Amino acid sequence: MRHRNPNLLGGVLGTLWLLVILVPIYYIVITSVRPREDYFSSNPLSLPSELTLEPFRYVLENDFLRYFANSTVVTVVTVIAVVTSSLLASYVIVRSRTRLARFSQKLFLLGIAIPLQATIIPIYYLIVQMGLYDTLWALILPSVAFAIPITVLILTNFLRDVPGELYESMTVDGASDWQMFRSLVLPLAKPAVVTVGIYDALQVWNGFLFPLVLTQSSEKRVLPLSLWAYQGEFTTNIPAVLAAVMLSALPILALYILGRRQLISGLTAGFSK
Amino acid sequence: MKPVTRRATLAALGLSAPALGTLSACGGGTQPTGGGGSPSSLSVWALTGAKQDTYQASFDAWEEANPEDPFAVEFFANDSYKEKIRTAIGSGSAPTLIFSWAGGTLADYVDNDSVVDLSGRVDDTLSRSIESINSVGQVDGAQYAVPNNDTQPVILYYHTGLFEEHGVTPPTTWDELMTAVETFSAAGITPLSLAGQSVWPELMYIQYLTDRIGGEGAFQKVLDGEADAWSDPAFTTALERIVELVDAGAFGDAFGSVSADAGADVALVHTGQAAMILQGSWVYGTFKQDAPDFVAEGSLGFLNFPAVDGGTGDPANVVGNPANFWSVSADAEEEVQELAIRYLNEFNLNEEMVGDFLAMGAIPAVTGLEDQLAALDDGEFLSFAYDMVLAAPHFQLSWDQALPAAPAQELLTNLSQIFLGETTPADFVAAMNATLAS
Amino acid sequence: MTTARHSRLRTAPSNWLLAPALSFFGVFALLPLGGVVVLTFFAWDGLGTPRFAGIDAWISVFQNPVTLHAMWLTLAMTALSFAVQFPLSLLLGTFMAGHQRYREAYSVLYFLPLLFSAAATGIAFKALLDPNFGISRAVGVDWLRLDWLGSPNLAFYTLIMVISWSFVPFHSLLYQAGVRQIPRSMYEAAMLDGAGRVRQFFTVTLPQLKYTIVTSSTLMLVGSLTYFDLIFILTGGGPGNATRVLPLDMYLTGFRSYQMGPASVIAVLLIAVGLLLSLGLNKISGSDTMDSQMEGA
Repeated sequence: MRHRNPNLLGGVLGTLWLLVILVPIYYIVITSVRPREDYFSSNPLSLPSELTLEPFRYVLENDFLRYFANSTVVTVVTVIAVVTSSLLASYVIVRSRTRLARFSQKLFLLGIAIPLQATIIPIYYLIVQMGLYDTLWALILPSVAFAIPITVLILTNFLRDVPGELYESMTVDGASDWQMFRSLVLPLAKPAVVTVGIYDALQVWNGFLFPLVLTQSSEKRVLPLSLWAYQGEFTTNIPAVLAAVMLSALPILALYILGRRQLISGLTAGFSK
Repeated sequence: MKPVTRRATLAALGLSAPALGTLSACGGGTQPTGGGGSPSSLSVWALTGAKQDTYQASFDAWEEANPEDPFAVEFFANDSYKEKIRTAIGSGSAPTLIFSWAGGTLADYVDNDSVVDLSGRVDDTLSRSIESINSVGQVDGAQYAVPNNDTQPVILYYHTGLFEEHGVTPPTTWDELMTAVETFSAAGITPLSLAGQSVWPELMYIQYLTDRIGGEGAFQKVLDGEADAWSDPAFTTALERIVELVDAGAFGDAFGSVSADAGADVALVHTGQAAMILQGSWVYGTFKQDAPDFVAEGSLGFLNFPAVDGGTGDPANVVGNPANFWSVSADAEEEVQELAIRYLNEFNLNEEMVGDFLAMGAIPAVTGLEDQLAALDDGEFLSFAYDMVLAAPHFQLSWDQALPAAPAQELLTNLSQIFLGETTPADFVAAMNATLAS
Repeated sequence: MTTARHSRLRTAPSNWLLAPALSFFGVFALLPLGGVVVLTFFAWDGLGTPRFAGIDAWISVFQNPVTLHAMWLTLAMTALSFAVQFPLSLLLGTFMAGHQRYREAYSVLYFLPLLFSAAATGIAFKALLDPNFGISRAVGVDWLRLDWLGSPNLAFYTLIMVISWSFVPFHSLLYQAGVRQIPRSMYEAAMLDGAGRVRQFFTVTLPQLKYTIVTSSTLMLVGSLTYFDLIFILTGGGPGNATRVLPLDMYLTGFRSYQMGPASVIAVLLIAVGLLLSLGLNKISGSDTMDSQMEGA
């Protein structure tokens, strides 16, 4: 759609929104390299008199890497468990007409319609009773359960597009469920798995409520919670807190730079159809 | 790629089965796996911050003397500790030594048989600490907790430079305080810096005012659970005085988003934007850290909260945190409890620990420090605060700590609404009386 | 069609492959879902074991002005954040779909808020909006010197602003993808009819985006019931109760006041509202989008 005259109004409003987006981000960046002494006295949007990486050093010295590692473990394990179990389930839902398969499909749809976060109190009780309180498992297990419905929905949508004849021919060759899954379903679903994997990973990486309620010690702290904790521990050291904010966004930024398309499709997984 | 996925599938399948098993196996018993304490060995949780090293040194000293029985030590930030210790106690994985503020939470632990009665077993450590503070660790006359660190009275700090500049005398009475408020307000300076977002600093006002107006008896009736205890006129008058302050612009117009966690309330004073701040003795350290010159040149003054004309409370009374306390977990095995008690008697608040606290500018809750304090760099401030505590007939623990959790939250919410002008003293009293019934 | 069904039956995989997903979902989603209903009939303070208490918790919640206020706030927040986010995302998405250089460059930058978790966003804005040391001091404009998060009248609207800042980028991505799928020929036809930019938007873009609008709106509305992290960090529900929406009310009642019974009642209310909202939206949209998506239509 090429217009004869450029859309001036659109350009102006778009630029305004750009400012709205950029000012807070500029503030985060500029403050994270501002010396601590300057924070209370200088203009918060001015360039600092001298650039310092001191806030970053301070954050890294305060166990940031441990929280980073915890977040990584939780995210990786959760995503592997979610995607594997959901892909198996989606395979059955698409290919089987048994009552259980249809029931499962309805069940997972229900899971999407309900704000599952509201079940945090019984989950807390359950985790404490299981003796899993303040372990990384306490974060992984419910995260897996909460991610399954949407993951199944997206994967079933994708698997439905696979022609039935493909499965047919393999069955004729006498392939077992397992062989079929490994040599047909998995390779076929790979693009959808990447998309939905990124989506799940972002959800888990950014999750706040589970860590807040289900863990306590600094040993088990994950990144979003650590930001909150830093805010209390560093007291007046706002530059260091914002340095931690910057660092926590780095992995996603890296993903954005390396694979913008994948990240965006992961973010909007299954919604933009 | 494929082998990984297969192993993960097996893991996923394997995971849920034992998890279900655990669910049915333990109906609420002790679970030592929760990252908390184990019943069979010594463990302790304390708070992060300046005092962390002192505790660590004390536990290290114990370990040196008892290499067989070291403490497993873990440190938490203030807010997360408060939320987490409860879970640990509820799930039976509490550390051997339980850190607390005494008050309502300690009473809850006693009700749940979670802590051990220490009466007669910790006399050595109690003999070192200040009597009025020891009594805060008692529930129904039995000693369940002993002081373990410094005492933290709430002090009225002021910016001496601003007071001189505007010719204001440091207030010792309510009228003088109101005069100061009017003068500074007219000069475009926030008279009293208040961290309204954190809400708990607002408690300091109602506590001091209630005490000055009606004495410590009014709140004691609340603790005793007397019906309509909040209807005591002392509370209503105190609330009216707060409204008076707010209306006079005493806290400026932006106190609602000032947070004490971020130290913004203190920063307002040392940057000259506010003239006074009512805060705990702990913020002296923040002043020194963030504005060393400000403190060094003597710009920081300190006072007890002003007396209120016609009030029946003793103007020497103090509110704040008397100290933090150690209790011993009832979930720990007998021998472990004995070890913990031995630690308390031999190491808690001993000379080394007292020395460490003094070195960092904190006032350990022990007797006979007058000479040592005066000799220190911050002697003037430390002696002032110490004398204030020793001279106080009554040391009121923070109300949010003294009350059980639910009424404490109700109190904070209603109080913040008083400061915001969203509720009236009468509605406050009615809402708080309702918490007594349940 | 018949052969397809036939082949499905013959090659159907074992139901056992459903086991991992069902057991995770069963134990950590369904069981708690039932559990939260059961817990509403118990008194439990987080210590010790829950004790049966009948309908006490229900009565106390419906008599509690704080929770009633929270319900009202949740509705207001849902409506208002939708009213702000929907037009913004739609217009921005359309803008981003354009292939002009500068628009593509803008789109790359518009994405930036998505790099930050809600916790990170909350902490950054809290510092930025500090009335004494934040943006108010940067620009010498008086109207910026407001107590953004500390004034009970303002905090709610400030939250809407921050929420829009962090969620509009996501929704505009959805709309961008939606607009780009509209066949160019439709616009060309409209232009031949002499339709201007505005009329094209209303006669071509908007109707073609129907499904995107339904999806995005559902996510916006149901999502607004679960705003927790951002509000928890920015205001903690305050000042007073000014931003204590239902999820906050649930958390504070459960994990600050340790009244797990009433907190569970609030949770049940949240679940009910969420369920009604998603079912209602599906009804309004005329087609059962979720089902139709599931059927691969």
